Amino acid sequence: MNSRKIIPFLLILSFLFFAHAVLSQERFNDVRQQMADHLTAVKTWLRANDREGAKKRFDEAQKVWETDVKRMITEGVKTNDQFQEYFDRMTEVDEHFAALAQELESGEAPKVESRVNAIIWAISHHPRGFKVPPPRYTMWDWVFGLSIGIGFCVFAIVFGLHLRRSYYRRYQKQGKEPPKG
Amino acid sequence: MTSDFIIIGLYLILMFVAGLFFSRNIKNTADYFLAARSAPWFWIMGAIWATNIGFLHGYLAHGGAAYEWGLIQANFEWFQGPFGYIMSGLFFIAFYWRAGVYTVPHFLERRYGSAISLIYNFAWIVIFVVTIAAEFYLGGLFLKNLLHIPFWPTVLVLAAVVGTYTLLGGLGAAIMMEFVQFIIMMLGTMPLLFILLHLVGGFAGIKEVLIGQWGVSPQYFTVLPDIHHPYGPGPWIVLGQCLVVTLGWCAGHQSMVQRNLGARSLYDAKFGYVVASIPKTLGAFLYIVPMIAAPIIFAGNGIFVERADASYGKLILNLLPSGMLGLFIAGLLSAGLSSISSVLNSTSTMIVKDIYERHLVKGRSDHHYFVAGRAATFAVIALSLLLVPVVLKVYLIMWLEQTLLAMVLGPFMGVLMLAIFWRRANAAGSLAGFITGGFFAILLGQAFGVNIFFEISWWSFVVTSIVTVAVTWLTAKPRPEQLDGLTWESDFRAKLGQVLKERAAENGVKVAAVQRANIRRPPWYLNIKYWATAILLSQIVLLLFFG
Repeated sequence: MNSRKIIPFLLILSFLFFAHAVLSQERFNDVRQQMADHLTAVKTWLRANDREGAKKRFDEAQKVWETDVKRMITEGVKTNDQFQEYFDRMTEVDEHFAALAQELESGEAPKVESRVNAIIWAISHHPRGFKVPPPRYTMWDWVFGLSIGIGFCVFAIVFGLHLRRSYYRRYQKQGKEPPKG
Repeated sequence: MTSDFIIIGLYLILMFVAGLFFSRNIKNTADYFLAARSAPWFWIMGAIWATNIGFLHGYLAHGGAAYEWGLIQANFEWFQGPFGYIMSGLFFIAFYWRAGVYTVPHFLERRYGSAISLIYNFAWIVIFVVTIAAEFYLGGLFLKNLLHIPFWPTVLVLAAVVGTYTLLGGLGAAIMMEFVQFIIMMLGTMPLLFILLHLVGGFAGIKEVLIGQWGVSPQYFTVLPDIHHPYGPGPWIVLGQCLVVTLGWCAGHQSMVQRNLGARSLYDAKFGYVVASIPKTLGAFLYIVPMIAAPIIFAGNGIFVERADASYGKLILNLLPSGMLGLFIAGLLSAGLSSISSVLNSTSTMIVKDIYERHLVKGRSDHHYFVAGRAATFAVIALSLLLVPVVLKVYLIMWLEQTLLAMVLGPFMGVLMLAIFWRRANAAGSLAGFITGGFFAILLGQAFGVNIFFEISWWSFVVTSIVTVAVTWLTAKPRPEQLDGLTWESDFRAKLGQVLKERAAENGVKVAAVQRANIRRPPWYLNIKYWATAILLSQIVLLLFFG
């Protein structure tokens, strides 16, 4: 095989390799999406007063949770800290599922809706900014911040004046006006 | 949904046909790489903003980062961006424009020689290819999530549309298309803000739910947070991001600069850049503020969000009615396509003008380099498509791109500032400074675990400046002819006629009226300094209101 053929072959091979890695990574997103779709269908069926249909989709959602999502989270958290937030909320999801099963039995649509929404939100990605500690400013922070602010203003004024002086000095030396605009 | 597909399909066909139409008069390299230097200020304004705001630096990734970290993301739009646009418009663009260069590396080459120019060139080509791949990825992901269409065919269609008009029409077609896309983006995506604010009870309503009921950190609503913030410590935002990264981005990003170099006059270049900060400021209301409200909508309606990058798409899919959704997607596609086309055109310009023409194949006809430009454009599209799977592996794409930028922009700002404001700065000093600064940035990130990219960029800027000054003092002064027309103290008025003649020679008859190129004062309402002052004051008002 000459080099002309080897290069496209290697390119295709590397492309397939990366594509495979991507597909396995996307799997976690896909199973959660599948679970969310089943849960959304629970709301739809219940709105149509079909409690059996709603229960069926509830079972399917719970099955995806137990067999796929939970397993991927518990395995994933060992190697990747992106799974930590889902791991922390696993108990919450289990509790919501238990409560939802009872609410479906009683057929209270508004309660079911808000419970389903809570489960979907619990398996969703939550903003990391929610957990940032409240602002705190130590003495050192004030010194640092004010030094930057005042320092920049002083620098800008001194440097600006220096540039202006050097620019006009040069023009005056050559006997020319400074350009306008 | 059918009406949305029809609108999107019509939009893509319109873009394709319009691109072919705009590319019909492209005949030489000045047309292809600098749009025959004929663009008025309002084209420049629209093109700069459309270039800056794409899937990556705008709606999807910035929107995703706003969902993730809150209002802090607005600092890109509210004081850094306008500051960078205005400073670049008032100062840096004039130097490039008067030097008659095609690219930023070309300016560095004239001032410091070819070594630093080549390093800078290669670094940016890598960043650009990654950027295009990331734009394709985000576009494909967005349409996949929204319309449930397969990822790869979508990416290939986007590549075919944008590739065709950029490949055939060069910068001229790109700028004209970007202006059209700028209008579609503004009109198509603004309704989301009003719908959302109506649903959640205004900005006060968002705060009431998130802080009052959910116990979310107040720093989620801060533009400039404290120094302990894990994503963007306030003082480092000012030092590293505002003064180094954003300024370096606006003055050193070839796509941004190239739009100005395509202007019909220096006034148009400067004014276009300054007033582009108006849409830049408004951008926060298109994709930052709506995303602060997004968690309330997601939690309240049971909308699943797999990751921050996907949140913007999920929001509009579940909020906008059919028909309006199609128009909105057309606006978003405009953002993505305009950014891809500008970066694509800039990459091919840098490859052909700075590497191929200057170092590999010298002295060929203009037509030869014109064809080479098209070939380079095609090669960059192909390479970017191959990189899409790699980009897919990166969580929060902004991180990857900004890490690369932090390693380039700090050293770049160091050598650029010294190039313009210090006549003594020489090639040896700048090369030593640039390389040391780049390695120092990598060292900070990898060995010392500093992961805040603008902190890295600030320190690499400082180290670059110190090393450049130290090595310059130890080596010979640059010759006066190396500095002519490139530094602050140059006598530009004396050189103006010569620069215009060079431009006229490059462009054939299009800019041949040298004798009419007198400097005239614009009317007061088009005075650059008045606009710059008003825009900067408006940033202070925004910061005071939103904190």
